Formats: sequence, structure tokens, C-alpha cells
Amino acid sequence: MAAILKLEAVTKYFAGLAALDDVSFEIREGEIVGLIGPNGAGKTTLFSIIAGSQAPTSGKITFQGRDITGVKSFRAVHAGIARTHQITRPFRSMTVRENVEVGLRFGRKGGGAAAARHGIDKEVRDILELVGIQNLAEMSSMTLSVGDLKRLELARTLAARPNLLLLDEVCAGLTESEMASILELLRRIQKLGTTIIYVEHNLRAILSTCHHVVVLNFGKKLAEGPPEQMQNDPAVIEAYIGKKAEA
Amino acid sequence: MSPKTETAPESLALRVLRAGMPLLLLAVLLLLPLGDIGANRTKVLFLTFVWICASVAWNILGGFAGQASFGFAVFYGLGAYTSAVAINGGINPYLTYALAAAVATLASLFIGLPTFRLRGPYFAIATIGVSEAVRVIMTNLGFTGGASGYRITEHVPFRQTEHYYTGLALAALAVAASILIRRSRFGLGLRAIRDDQEAAADSGVNPYASKLAAHAVAAALTGVAGGVYARYAAFISPDGVFAFQRSVSILLMPIIGGVNTIWGPVLGGGVYGVVEEELSARFPEFHLLLYGVLVILIILFEPGGLMGLLGRLRRLILRRRVGAWQPS
Repeated sequence: MAAILKLEAVTKYFAGLAALDDVSFEIREGEIVGLIGPNGAGKTTLFSIIAGSQAPTSGKITFQGRDITGVKSFRAVHAGIARTHQITRPFRSMTVRENVEVGLRFGRKGGGAAAARHGIDKEVRDILELVGIQNLAEMSSMTLSVGDLKRLELARTLAARPNLLLLDEVCAGLTESEMASILELLRRIQKLGTTIIYVEHNLRAILSTCHHVVVLNFGKKLAEGPPEQMQNDPAVIEAYIGKKAEA
Repeated sequence: MSPKTETAPESLALRVLRAGMPLLLLAVLLLLPLGDIGANRTKVLFLTFVWICASVAWNILGGFAGQASFGFAVFYGLGAYTSAVAINGGINPYLTYALAAAVATLASLFIGLPTFRLRGPYFAIATIGVSEAVRVIMTNLGFTGGASGYRITEHVPFRQTEHYYTGLALAALAVAASILIRRSRFGLGLRAIRDDQEAAADSGVNPYASKLAAHAVAAALTGVAGGVYARYAAFISPDGVFAFQRSVSILLMPIIGGVNTIWGPVLGGGVYGVVEEELSARFPEFHLLLYGVLVILIILFEPGGLMGLLGRLRRLILRRRVGAWQPS
């Protein structure tokens, strides 16, 4: 299938330190791609650059054939890229319903407008039902549990109708059963036609959901390939747990 | 109490009351001049309407979007001077209000384009600087008489009732704009920015453009308020309409009444207007002390201002009534 996102030699320096160094890869449309790597590998920085929260120092990012290098985050959302945050960031003065409404009414061009025709309320209900928090619609977002906040973050992001969804550790801090239901949800979203890049520390989550895995280490792309292959790649193992001692 | 109680659907009676109260108030204010309330009381009410307009306008930017500005005297003053010069130039006073709005809007863009790149307290600080700069320029501007002020001469008899209704229409316009914005997509975006600007941008809200737009609407309303005031006062000076004290007053009213609400700024403007005009005449310095105490109390105990206090009272009464039904 065609590449929906293409990164070419993306580099990001923070005060002379390379957070990302010459990272290139392609994401095929309709896949769930895992982005893994040890702490500080540059996963979240890469997300911020793709989503427009930060501009790369150099390199080029192409989305659906369009150069989107350095565009502002709201423009990336309008183009069809939306992200979640590792630490959830709900709009605290709003109810769950209103949070989702923001994503719906300001999201991808053509996505939200289409939704409005059938009524915003119904769209919000459908999204809340999809992520499983429909019973919390009128609750203040300040009263939600960590798990429900993760779901709200996901709901708000989905409401923007992205073609490319960037998920930053949506399973961190969740229980086994909560995690299982979120992963199931990701597979459903992918089947609905959304491409997903998924940052995760939990390798079991990656193995069970992703079609393809990209491994980052110290800001460089270490390897990429099918998840089973990455699991046994010596370079990947070394990055995570170190080198075998020399005899 | 569970958090759900607060967002539970309200009873029909309460909703009718809530929608009906503003209309009732408007009707009373419309009929008031028919009864003989006297020139002085009419004047106090007129000035209060002007204050309410500025207060509601400030809240659109400072409350809804969370961008506190100390520079609204700029718009008030520019509106006042624009109308004054235009009226003396022979233009219909009501048309000059449109000019006042246009000039204030332009000024808001000049101020907003650079300062909205700053965040939080830095934006507020920048507005102080701009406001002072404009005051100094106006103090030294030759064709408006500089520091000695500017007089408006109209060759029509002074009709206080006309001013009264203009002021009332102005305040009603501001409240209507505030309600419409609050309920619109634009208003939702402003709330998102107030809560978390980055998360708002990550949801597709354009923070820069939204803040500029909120600033422009607020400036336009404040400019008209300045114009309406200038025509009534017939004499304006930089130390009056452009004073830093004016900027502070415009910001105090919504804070006293309850920032980021529809009726808080109205209430705050009402209280401020009456206190300012009634008390300051009798006790020249006392009202300053009163504001100081009010602001300290609000910051310490009730950030929601008078509206927050009313809400607290309502919940207290409701709880008592609920308690009375249950056998204890």
C-alpha cells in the first residue's frame, strides 16, 4: 500500500544535543506501526515533530504527498494528523462531552463539518461509546480516573477524524484488562481505516497489535521490520538490556 | 456530594427563571425613564451601562480566552477620541460609533499581533506598556488638544433620555455578543485555549487567530463604549479616558462580578458603576479602599467573584431544603 507518511533525514537538536539524528522511515497507509526504544530514545520528540508541536532542525516530512515539515500543530490536525499526550491533557473546565466536541468541531477539514450535518450530539455519543465512556458524558473532566482520562484523550483525538493517529503510551498506568480493551479498540480504529503510530514500552502490547515496528535508540533509527523479527534482533536486544559479556 | 449533582438537568421552573430574569431586567430598565427618576439617577444608570459594556467586553478576552489585559483604556480612549473628532466633523453620532469600533479593532490588531506571541503574565505586562505609550502620545498630540483635552460641540439640544437608551442598547449589545460567543464554536475554542493552549492546538484550534479575534471583538465593544461616553461627557482628556486607572477599572469589574461567566461582568459593572458614581461623590477615597478589600476577599476566598458567591448561596439553600425532606 502507498506511504501515508514519509520521514527523510529528520534531525532535531536541543542546545547542541541531537534528540533525533537523521531519522528516515515510511508508514504505509492502514497499518498500526509501533515506535519503540529505551527511555530518551527520542520517541516523544519524533511525535511532537510529526504532529507540529515542534519544528525539526532539518529534514523533511511528507504526509499524503504533501510537505508538512514545520507546520503548526493545528494545521497538522486540519490536514489529518492528531496525537494523544503521554500525560493526559483534558480541558479541565469542560465536561467529557465538551472535550470531545472541541476535537469534533475543530478537527480535520471535512471531518467535523460532515459530522455536524448529522448532529454534533450524536457524533459525540458515538465516539464516547466507541471508547467506552458514554456513561461519563456529563461529568467534569476533572473528576475522571487515570484510565478514563486516557479514554477521554483518545476520544477527543479520534473526534478530530485523523487519517494518521499518533498514540503516546496510551496503556501506561492501566491495568491488564483496561490495556486489553484499549488494544482491542486500536484494532477496531485501524479497521475503520485510520493509520496508527503507537509509542509503547510494553512489548507485549506492541507484539499483539502492530504490523510493523520502528526502533529508536539515542535519537537514531536502530532497526525496523515486523514485530517478531525486531524481538530477536541482536541490536534491539542490546539497546534494551545491554551486550552479552565477553568471555 | 457527588460531582454529578452540579451538572444534573435543572428543573423547568429554574430554567424559566434564569431565562426570564434578564428579560425582566431589560423591561424594567426600558420603562424606567417613563417614571420620573431624576437627572442624577439617569446619569448614574447611563454611566453604569457604559461600564457594563466595557466589563463584558474585557471578559470576552480576559475571561473566555483567559488573556488578562491591562490595556483596555487604549480602546476606550481611542473610541472616545474617534467619536469626538468625527462628531465635531459633522458626522452623525451613531455613525461615529462604527468608526470608534473600527479604530479600536485596528488598534487591537496592532497590539495583539506582537503581544499574543507572549504567554501568561508577559502578555499582561506588555499591555501595560502599550497602554502607557498610547496615553503619552495622546497627551502630546496637537490636533486633539494634547493634555488639555478635547471638547465636543453638537448643535442639538442635550437629551438625557436618548443617552440613557443608547447606553442601555450598548450594554444589551455587549451581553448579546457575549452570550453568542460563549455558545459558538469560536467560544468553545477560547475555552479550550484558556484551559490548555497546547492541547487546544493539538485538537485543531488556532490559538493565535482565536485570541486576535477575541481581542478584536472586545476592543470594538470597548471602543463604542468610549464613543458613547464621549458624546455624553462632551469633554474628554487623555488623563481621563486613557488613564491607567481606567484600564484597571475595566479589569476589576469582571473580576468582582465573576470572571469567565456571562452575568458576572454585568453584575460587576453594575456594582462598580453605582459605587463609583454614588459613593465617590460622597466619600472621595473610600471606594478605592472598598475595591481593594473586595479584590483581596475574592482572591482569597471566592475566585468566582459575586457570581461564585451567589452559586454558593444557592447550593446552601438547596441543600437545606433537601435536608428538610429527610427525617433526621
